[in-house]
Amino acid sequence: MADDRSLGSSSVGRLVSAAGVYGIAALFLAVGALLQATGIIRGFLTIQNMLNIVDAAALVGIVAVGMAFVTYSGHFADMSVPTTMGFTGYVCIELLRYGFIPAVIVALAIGLLIGLMNGFVVGKLKANPIIWTLAVNYVTMGVIRLIWVNKQIYPDMRGSGQKAVELFDNIYRLRFFNLIGLPVVMLLVLVVAGQFVMTKTSFGVKLKLTGSSLRAAKFSGISVERVITTAFVLTALTATIAGLAVTSLSRVGAWYNGAGYDFKAVTAIVIGGMTLAGGRGSILGVLGGSLIIGLLNNVLTLLGVGTFSQDMIRGAIFIVVVGINAKSLRSLGRDDA
Amino acid sequence: MEEREIGLALEMKRVSKRFPGTIAVDDVSFEVYAGEVHALVGENGAGKSTLMKMLAGSFDDYTGQICINGKEVKLHSPTQAKKYGIGMIYQELSLARPISIIENLLAGRLPRKGPLLDKARARSQAKGLLAHVGLDLDPELPIEDISQHEAQLVEIAKVLGNGPCILVMDEPTSALSREEVERLFQIIVQLKNRGIAVVYISHHLPEIFRIADRVTVMRDGKKIATKPIGEVTREEIVQMMVGRSVKEFYKRDERKIGETRLKVSGLSRFGFFHDVSFEARRGETLGICGLSGAGRSELAKVLAGLDRADEGRIELDGAEVRSGTMADALSRGIAYLTEDRKHEGLALRLTVGENIMAPIVDRLSSGSVFSKAKGAPLAAELIGELDIYPPDPERTVGNLSGGNQQKVLLAKWLASKPKVLILDEPTRGVDIGAKMTIHSSIEKLAREGCTVLLISSDLPELVGLSDRVMIMRKGHFTREMGFGECSEESLLLAANGALGAEGGA
Ligand SMILES: Nc1ncnc2c1ncn2[C@@H]1O[C@H](COP(=O)(O)OP(=O)(O)OP(=O)(O)O)[C@@H](O)[C@H]1O
Ligand SMILES: [Mg+2]
Repeated sequence: MADDRSLGSSSVGRLVSAAGVYGIAALFLAVGALLQATGIIRGFLTIQNMLNIVDAAALVGIVAVGMAFVTYSGHFADMSVPTTMGFTGYVCIELLRYGFIPAVIVALAIGLLIGLMNGFVVGKLKANPIIWTLAVNYVTMGVIRLIWVNKQIYPDMRGSGQKAVELFDNIYRLRFFNLIGLPVVMLLVLVVAGQFVMTKTSFGVKLKLTGSSLRAAKFSGISVERVITTAFVLTALTATIAGLAVTSLSRVGAWYNGAGYDFKAVTAIVIGGMTLAGGRGSILGVLGGSLIIGLLNNVLTLLGVGTFSQDMIRGAIFIVVVGINAKSLRSLGRDDA
Repeated sequence: MEEREIGLALEMKRVSKRFPGTIAVDDVSFEVYAGEVHALVGENGAGKSTLMKMLAGSFDDYTGQICINGKEVKLHSPTQAKKYGIGMIYQELSLARPISIIENLLAGRLPRKGPLLDKARARSQAKGLLAHVGLDLDPELPIEDISQHEAQLVEIAKVLGNGPCILVMDEPTSALSREEVERLFQIIVQLKNRGIAVVYISHHLPEIFRIADRVTVMRDGKKIATKPIGEVTREEIVQMMVGRSVKEFYKRDERKIGETRLKVSGLSRFGFFHDVSFEARRGETLGICGLSGAGRSELAKVLAGLDRADEGRIELDGAEVRSGTMADALSRGIAYLTEDRKHEGLALRLTVGENIMAPIVDRLSSGSVFSKAKGAPLAAELIGELDIYPPDPERTVGNLSGGNQQKVLLAKWLASKPKVLILDEPTRGVDIGAKMTIHSSIEKLAREGCTVLLISSDLPELVGLSDRVMIMRKGHFTREMGFGECSEESLLLAANGALGAEGGA
């Protein structure tokens, strides 16, 4: 048993455990196929549906890849993701009248600021990450309601230039070879970059130390505050990217644009084999976890399961995975999960 | 002493426990009488802790038989072990850190008034338990706010509070000061008189000769012998432990002491230490001696940038150092080996290699790309130099024996090649052979020009390694002794205040 622990830190071991996630994804695919073969659901095994799954998984995946850095740092999750997504979407639409590029840049800058703030408060002031980011989520929601008085806004309603509106509407609908959507490409780029940053850079090494033992990292002369802040910034930036995607795809700035992405992302992260205790797991695993979330949503929707029941099922899966995780850590003699 | 008519409290018959790649305990039979203090000794990694963890219910896959008070029992979980009256004081402190002393002490049996916690009673019960081990602390304090040695005593109080019939102490004194050790010995004698069986693990042989009735020696997972303490000498025990004879000795090479490197003037951190001034030179080993609570570790933490000074000035090579964080201090070449190996020293879930490279991540990176390969030769060299067992950088540190973990901690700081290295109890929990290895590494470091500040409760070590010793007492530097004047007796007298009128600080 102690062996797969040491294995877990080798790159081979990481691939093996990531492969496990893809095995589960394949299983879901098989279940979907079976349900279709037995006539319980229809239209699962079509190209269009597969694209839907991948597109949905891409949006969750983009958020999850960023948030995985927070989880890996030992700070569980960033619950401010939903309104970060919603808020930056509003801002971008509002600013389209100054052009597409400036609007996107300002949106990203706002994401950056939210990340910096979260990182400072959690890293430096040692606030509880869940409580703090939940609070930020509510406050941001309040800000949205204050500015836009509960209204949804549309890209073409703000007297923005035709070109900027079209660009904003269409960019995320871009499909390479008429097949692979821009969000999917973005996700793949983020996964490769994220995996590299986590395993090959000095920041990644420090992040692992911080996540494994915050005190030991600090007592090794690592600026843990800086490391934690960077993790929150990465999360906020990927949330902004996903927020703009959701806004562009739905062609509307709405407060609910990011709803549910916090929990979907955390679930993808833990299914992907990352422990909430920090310091263990990989971005490749998180990609697999996002695929599973995408597949699950799709199958459940085809089965006619309602949104609330879907949430419940996801919640149950989350609890089971975290439970298994904690148990396997305990049997390895480290119940510091 | 009465004869033992009470019989065997504990009988372990031909027990074994293997980990992948190692047999940690190999066919060991071990017996303890009620009312006996039984010492268990052996080198680092000999299997002492593993044998005792078996008893504490840590493993469900050991082989062999365990009998308690003559009845065979299965000890497959800590709950079972507790039920059979086994109390274990672990080598690595196991208290929950952010939680108050009360809750730690009374975990699982907090007094209640109806559905509510009976605060007043909990408090007085906790106070009573603490008083028993000679502590006068506010029981509402969280564990992380008290010092190492206090935490060790709280841990002892906690286990005693459960009223065990077999009590295991795994290196209980490695975090205690002399006065506290005396107090602990008194407690052990009381327990013994009440017919409790005590197993006592220590690397400090003089302690064993003071309190043990019998001693069992282990080597490489096997039991070598069990002897009444009167029938063996120190040399024989060491001989059995290592298979050859080892003497604790200090060889002083010619030392080259250079110009001033570290200059501290008027440094204070209110409530901990006041107006401390000293200079330390290149290649010099400056010992800092004091009772626990004298402010030694706190001084070290300020020098290392972990805490802020309220007053005073620190200069390194003539330039003022105002480090707000340890990262700052480290980048200037001031490194600090903490006394708290488990929480502050090592990331137990990571590998030996990752821990050794932790302070030099930036140095091993070009741009921001980290190169593990660049650090590998250094890690391998240090593992060899300090004789870390098993000699594998990919091992998880938490699976190493206590003494080997301590060596990894030192390796980490040797790797950082500091200008000033502050060592806080550097040989805690290591065996005699390993202690000599660590000492020669420290000597080598000093010879290469590093300034070493050595905080140690081990007086022979302090006398043997230091060029000068500063005596710290109640937060003040009271005097300095050159190598010539230092002896265990003179240091002890000075640390207690020459007149010895006042008690422990
Ligand atoms: N969880 C584990 N996984 C793998 N190997 C282990 C584990 N725990 C202990 N070992 C190995 O078992 C052997 C015995 O270790 P143990 O901790 O019992 O030694 P010890 O006698 O207590 O030493 P020390 O004096 O250093 O505390 C060592 O070789 C150690 O590396
Ligand atoms: Mg041990």
